[in-house]
Amino acid sequence: MNDMRLTERVVTETAKMTARGVQVHYGTNHALKDVDVDILDKTVTAFIGPSGCGKSTFLRCLNRMNDTVASARVTGRIEMDGQDIYDPRVDPVQLRAKVGMVFQKPNPFPKSIYENVAYGPKIHGLARSKADLDEIVETSLRKAALWNEVKDRLTAPGTGLSGGQQQRLCIARAVATSPEVLLMDEPCSALDPIATAQVEELIDELRAQFSVVIVTHSMQQAARVSQRTAFFHLGSLVEYGETGHIFTNPTDPRTEAYITGRIG
Amino acid sequence: MSLGLLLLLLIGLAGLGFVAGRQRALAAVRGDARDLHSLPAYYGQAVALAAAVPAALLMLVWLIVQPLAVERSTLALILPEDIGAGSSRELVMADIRRIAEGMEVLVASGTANEGEIVALASQPEALKARLAEVNVALAAPISAHVAGAALVYRQSMATGQGAMAVAVLALAVAGFLLALWRVTPQFRARNVVERVMQVLLIAASSIAILTTAGIIFSLVFESWHFFQLYPARDFFLSLTWSPKFGGGSDLGLWPLLWGTLYVSAIALLVAVPIGLMAAIYLSEYASPALRAVAKPAIEILAGIPSIVYGLFALMTVGPFLRDWFAQPMGLGDSSSSVMTAGVVMGIMLIPYVSSLSDDIINAVPQALRDGSYAIGATQSETIRQVVFPAALPGIVGAILMAASRAIGETMIVVLGAGAAAKLDLNPFEAMTTVTVKIVSQLTGDTEFASPETLVAFALGLTLFVFTLGLNVLALYIVRKYREQYE
Repeated sequence: MNDMRLTERVVTETAKMTARGVQVHYGTNHALKDVDVDILDKTVTAFIGPSGCGKSTFLRCLNRMNDTVASARVTGRIEMDGQDIYDPRVDPVQLRAKVGMVFQKPNPFPKSIYENVAYGPKIHGLARSKADLDEIVETSLRKAALWNEVKDRLTAPGTGLSGGQQQRLCIARAVATSPEVLLMDEPCSALDPIATAQVEELIDELRAQFSVVIVTHSMQQAARVSQRTAFFHLGSLVEYGETGHIFTNPTDPRTEAYITGRIG
Repeated sequence: MSLGLLLLLLIGLAGLGFVAGRQRALAAVRGDARDLHSLPAYYGQAVALAAAVPAALLMLVWLIVQPLAVERSTLALILPEDIGAGSSRELVMADIRRIAEGMEVLVASGTANEGEIVALASQPEALKARLAEVNVALAAPISAHVAGAALVYRQSMATGQGAMAVAVLALAVAGFLLALWRVTPQFRARNVVERVMQVLLIAASSIAILTTAGIIFSLVFESWHFFQLYPARDFFLSLTWSPKFGGGSDLGLWPLLWGTLYVSAIALLVAVPIGLMAAIYLSEYASPALRAVAKPAIEILAGIPSIVYGLFALMTVGPFLRDWFAQPMGLGDSSSSVMTAGVVMGIMLIPYVSSLSDDIINAVPQALRDGSYAIGATQSETIRQVVFPAALPGIVGAILMAASRAIGETMIVVLGAGAAAKLDLNPFEAMTTVTVKIVSQLTGDTEFASPETLVAFALGLTLFVFTLGLNVLALYIVRKYREQYE
């Protein structure tokens, strides 16, 4: 772990999203119990915890992806910029344009690289002209650090890229709708160490523009990329705080047991 | 010995082999199956297979080869004077076969014994009369020489049958004993059974392929005959179809092909949109409970025999279209029309399109849908722009499958569109298709070797090439795009 970097971290204190008393049930299974978290603006927040602890479930609450699961029921209050995102007046489709998401396995559409990135701007009508769209695609690919690798083959299928490139393409796709929050569900678990390093570097750069929430199984990764860390265990939020604090001086014995490898 | 009895004996021997092989294996290790290489049942199976399989194969080959050989030697007996005017060697041979069968019937019914049969062979008139008594009618008068040939034919068949029984049983017993002798605790019965199973599976799949080859061969063969009697240029280029049973017919392919394509096109115009939308609803929107009920309900449509659809076309759809569309629009007053057949056929094809497409849409990974939802796409945007393109190759395959089915359909066309071969654009006009004409040409009352009958094979071959082309196209499309989302 890079202790030098832990001390350098600058953390903004304005909350972008706040969750209070969030509960999730999948049918009769109580997957998430009473979670309170503030996602800070322009900050990388890491969710760690053993498999099945509810961290991905909570992530999927933040952009209402759980709505697509028929058996899921979410209660509690999640606000974004003071607006309850579960309010009936909020269109989940609009919300998801503002809260982008990158998945565990790269899932590019079976379309060209260009069309993959242009998909979001097109359906939301963000581009006024073809030139406009071209520019959005280029900026998004640049933000995802993929432009130089694919600029000569934008019409090639996105599925033909390597795993790491595919994942960065998915990041570019999510970035293209100019989201305010980017959710990443174990974005590096299907990638090799080099691609992982590239994506981690990217996450650090993306932080300048919006808040990033990342679910990860790798504690090194959480320590490397995040400023805030939340530890989930058995559906509850055990501890949430500054990353350096969680990793060096956890208050809860379960957190300590997890980061030292005794539960997991 | 009759064939059935021989088969029963073989099965009995195999059963006995199973028991004996198992017993012998167990006895060799004093009942402790752990010392055997394989489970005891495998030794039984190995012996049973050794007894039954080679013998059964020999029987199969014998049954194919023997009639060919006997017929060949009998053909050599036929003298040029036996062949009357307007007859041929093959027709005389058919007579011989018929007389031999008649003799068999005489013996079986108890009206004549073997001695009498031999005596009858030298009295053709009496033989003919006796055969007529047991309902075996012969067209031409029999000559003594032909009756003699029939006697020889019958006797060599009987001898062959007997020889086959002996050979098959001998082989079965030999296999049985050899396998039983080889049963020792070290004998790898399991591997042997495995290999035999593999060969059986290969044989099963080759039967399917060989049958296809056989069908093509017979079609090509008869079509070749047709094209020797009727110019290919006229068949492929003429625009009229008017078979005259006295000869001098116009056998142009186009009116029939046009009817086939027209009816199929209307059928697909009905089936593809409805089937596809039903599939999308079922796979993307319907709740699991509804889907569990609705999908089988749609598939019931596929279980209705096409003749029933034909009745529906004839009694309901045809008159309805005539009274409400054709007559008010002044497009004719026939209840048999391309439209009737096309619409009803389209209904029949809905489950083909919907069921296959539903499976294909379901196979599109959920990750792609999630990816689209996460960008803020609605469900219908996701379906139109992500799921549908990803499923397209499979859907095209399903549509082409339905198209092949439409092209080959006969009953609905007979009852719905009539039997008049016409080249017309009016969809409310009666027309007909290739398949309908194949049936009517073959069931006609003309002699088989005339172009009016043989044209059926040329039509069949055309149709086959057409649907084969469609299937190849479907396979090509599916192959080309299959890996897109993997």
